[in-house]
Amino acid sequence: MKAEDVKVCVIRIEGTNCEDEMYQAFKMVGASPELVHLKQLAGKAPGHAKRHLEDYDILAFPGGFSAGDYVRAGAIFAARIKSDIGTELKRFVESEKPVLGVCNGFQTLVELGLLPAFEGVMSETPTAALSTNDSGRFECRPTYLRNDNRGKCIFTSEMKKGQIVMFPLAHAEGKLLSEDPRFVEKLEENDQVAFRYVGPGGAKAVYPWNPNGSPSDIAGICNPAGNVLGMMPHPERVLTRYTHQDWTRNGQPEEGDGMMVFRSVMKKLTK
Amino acid sequence: MAKKALSVKRDVPFPLHDVNILSASDEELKSISSEMGLSLSLDEMKVIVDYFRKEGRNPTDVELESLGQAWSEHCCYKSSKNILKKFVFSVKHPNVLSRGDAGVMVFDEDHGYALRIESHNHPSAIEPYGGAATGIGGILRDIVCMGAQPVGLGDPLCFGLIDRKGELPPGTKHPRYLLSGVVSGIRDYGNRVGVPTITGGFFFDERYTTNCLVNVGALGIVRKDELTNNFAGGPGETMILIGGRTGRDGIHGVTFASADLTSTSDEDSRGAVQLGDPITKEPIIHACLEVNRLGLITGMKDLGGGGLSCVVGEMALSAGECGADVHLEKVPLKEEGLAPWEIWVSESQERMMVTCKPENTEKILEIFELWDVLATPVAVTTDIPRTKVYWHGTKVLDMDTEFLTGGPAYDRPYVSPKVSGKEDEVFPEIPSAGEAIPALLSDLNVASREWAIRQYDFEVRGSTALGPMVGKMNAAGPGDASIIMPVPGSFRGLAATIGCNPWFTEADPYNGAMSSVEEALRGLVSVGARPDAITNCLNFGNPEKPDRLGVFREAVRGLGDICRALEIPIPSGNVSLYNEGSEGGGVLPTPMIMATGIIEDTRKAVSADFKDPGSRVYLVGSTKDEMGGSLLFRKYGGRGGAVPKADPAVFKRISEKLLSAMDRRLVRSCHDCSDGGAAVAIAEMCLSGRVGAEIDVPRDAEESIWLYSESNTRWIVEIKESSAKEFEGIMGGDARMIGRTGGDFLAIAGARIPVSGLYESWSRPLWNVMGGAA
Repeated sequence: MKAEDVKVCVIRIEGTNCEDEMYQAFKMVGASPELVHLKQLAGKAPGHAKRHLEDYDILAFPGGFSAGDYVRAGAIFAARIKSDIGTELKRFVESEKPVLGVCNGFQTLVELGLLPAFEGVMSETPTAALSTNDSGRFECRPTYLRNDNRGKCIFTSEMKKGQIVMFPLAHAEGKLLSEDPRFVEKLEENDQVAFRYVGPGGAKAVYPWNPNGSPSDIAGICNPAGNVLGMMPHPERVLTRYTHQDWTRNGQPEEGDGMMVFRSVMKKLTK
Repeated sequence: MAKKALSVKRDVPFPLHDVNILSASDEELKSISSEMGLSLSLDEMKVIVDYFRKEGRNPTDVELESLGQAWSEHCCYKSSKNILKKFVFSVKHPNVLSRGDAGVMVFDEDHGYALRIESHNHPSAIEPYGGAATGIGGILRDIVCMGAQPVGLGDPLCFGLIDRKGELPPGTKHPRYLLSGVVSGIRDYGNRVGVPTITGGFFFDERYTTNCLVNVGALGIVRKDELTNNFAGGPGETMILIGGRTGRDGIHGVTFASADLTSTSDEDSRGAVQLGDPITKEPIIHACLEVNRLGLITGMKDLGGGGLSCVVGEMALSAGECGADVHLEKVPLKEEGLAPWEIWVSESQERMMVTCKPENTEKILEIFELWDVLATPVAVTTDIPRTKVYWHGTKVLDMDTEFLTGGPAYDRPYVSPKVSGKEDEVFPEIPSAGEAIPALLSDLNVASREWAIRQYDFEVRGSTALGPMVGKMNAAGPGDASIIMPVPGSFRGLAATIGCNPWFTEADPYNGAMSSVEEALRGLVSVGARPDAITNCLNFGNPEKPDRLGVFREAVRGLGDICRALEIPIPSGNVSLYNEGSEGGGVLPTPMIMATGIIEDTRKAVSADFKDPGSRVYLVGSTKDEMGGSLLFRKYGGRGGAVPKADPAVFKRISEKLLSAMDRRLVRSCHDCSDGGAAVAIAEMCLSGRVGAEIDVPRDAEESIWLYSESNTRWIVEIKESSAKEFEGIMGGDARMIGRTGGDFLAIAGARIPVSGLYESWSRPLWNVMGGAA
């Protein structure tokens, strides 16, 4: 497939608010992104505005506060998706098309049961949750992340194992918890850990380097098949070096660290 | 009760009264105004009597309520209009694209940027969370109704001392509680609508205790060919009400904002505070921008103060002597049973009005339907300049639109303020630099704002190149201005910062206001941006007190003078008077300036943190004996003294040189000197870059003045040894080397302070009061 033939559905409802930069990220790697309201996919729009999920090659869930997040973050968005396009979404994931969720998008993927998805591609009920940060506050800060994936995740294929990148984050609920006592071990066994928070130079992350208290410093995970990635930090906010927090101090390359996530998935689809 | 005796219920199946003003005595007119909460003076009531005498009938309650809104200080600027006209409206500039609900300036060939700042003071003093949140909502609507996508927020806030002990005046909430509520309100609204909060400020002083100031500013980006009007295109158009339902929240918000707060405001005026809803707002932004982009609308305006009563008349009148027929029963309500006058004046949030040619109505409704946003045609414009309002066919208002929306203008009496000078200066006893510098860094007015900044998403939209904190990751120090890149794919940057010095303005309103503007512009230059425009929110006291009006007048004169001399336009602004507080002492006179600048290539931006050891450190500009209102005086009990003066010609000369040096990439870091003077500026550069410095106070300078004077037009810059010659060549006599970076200590004036200690002094104080840790 040619890059411009890769159709990206950047899905939105009221309160998703990082869709413009998500759109821009896919644009910068040559894909053809489109901002699509859930109602357009659910047949609840006038004819000319109707869209079908199966026509897209990538599905991206942007950050924000979908439906206000006045209950558990991502829960309302997930419930609407399930009832509107649940079957189509499951088929999309089963066909191993890539799905990316950032911040509120990650929270939504967990609420949908698409992550961690230890059994089947989409669990009936959520099996993990992104819980309130240990600080009890909304945290907007830069983070260092280490790519801990061994090769399964299609969004990190262009990154070296152990490579450290800087993505900023901004959330109040980012601590990945599960009732499963073997949660982290299972993620490791299945090669589902994508990113871990680290301190400067790759040191063990303590607050604020692990900004939310996530166990085992986990910042992002993929599903067992590797085509669904959810992460709290925002790769789409660092597409050039000039939005890296400390760019005036350091000689980073022109391209921002976040581009690697988008290049990785495009590489897979266009090869 | 006077109102009962003087108002007669009409024989219709809904609440409607005719108010008998034509035969009312002066006393009765006054009591009608106060019983109905109109806040109209006797003279204003008499003008209204004259008008209705010509109409040959008494007004309805809907008509009187409508006039109460439109003629409030908040809506018609009756006390400030003539002063603004005299001093600032004459500042013209070819790059101003619009002076609508927000100002719009040229950004690049294809784009303009919108800017505005306004106050939400009184509501926030009563209900800090809701007051601040709706403040954000209101300012965003002002940006959107220019057709602009909001891209940045700025929130300067003034409170009493948050570490205040002891009893509070009756009816006053503790400043710590207010600060916490206001920051939460900004966070929960700003973050939810996805607009980065990129600048702001905290100002703490006892004199804000009973009347905090919550100013909210916003920036937007708009394609020039999509810039909209805030009025209809002509007669025969449809007016579509967009967004939230209308309810009893926010009734009499503008009249509440146009009177002093009292010790019982909390009980009396709770209903005047509106309730915001960012998740109604967020899709409204999308949908409004979409119908505009598609060319379906002729005008757009937000419903703010006065609600429908203000927006309908203004949109019709500005369309060229048009009027409007309004069908009030069509307005979607939160609850049944509202009287027509309540619907007409309610300030319920998240509402916009768009006008369109009738043939586009359906297409517009379809787009709002997709976003699940209510959109209801409620009125049509007419070719006679009268506003007529109907409730199920019964006419409840029928007035000349110009009379309704115009409002009076006053030249109220004023007395010129006494100005602080060198002759009455009392220089305080001050400790050594080793003690004073950490103490100044720990002052609440200097210390780190990280507690608040990290609760705001300052990076959403992915275009923030310089944020409010700069330097080492997770240990950053204060920046001077933020830069966003609002057009995807372009490195052209829009810089924004806040400037205000209420202490200078109190001591010398003219020079204080000028210095407030200069401080803001200086902050822009610090990051490499060329000053382009300012917008302001003028927070002052009761204009009916001649001394307060004298202070306001002098400050406005200062604003006008510096902007005219520097050719900096003021395409939008806001005035907030009656900031007296329940004790009647008045707040500090606070001309809050939000300044914007353009940096052609953001890749050349400069941040304030020292970068390397071994660089040269220069002081740009000259230091004068101007200690009046300084942080040093406030901290150690100094009195009087001359307030820093701004010299536009000097500012122009030096800032041009500095910008040229930055454009040639000669400047490694730059920070302007403001609160605490050069000493605090240098210390801040050390702590944010974690690099020490050795500084020599020039032998010909008086040490304490050189260290702590807050003279304008000064910056501290870091220059690599290899660039020094070229830099000096550009700057000439306007820069003087004062030392070098390096080591882990700041050595200055006999003191040797560890950089880690500077960071501790600066970073902890707000956390210590507000709780939590970095």
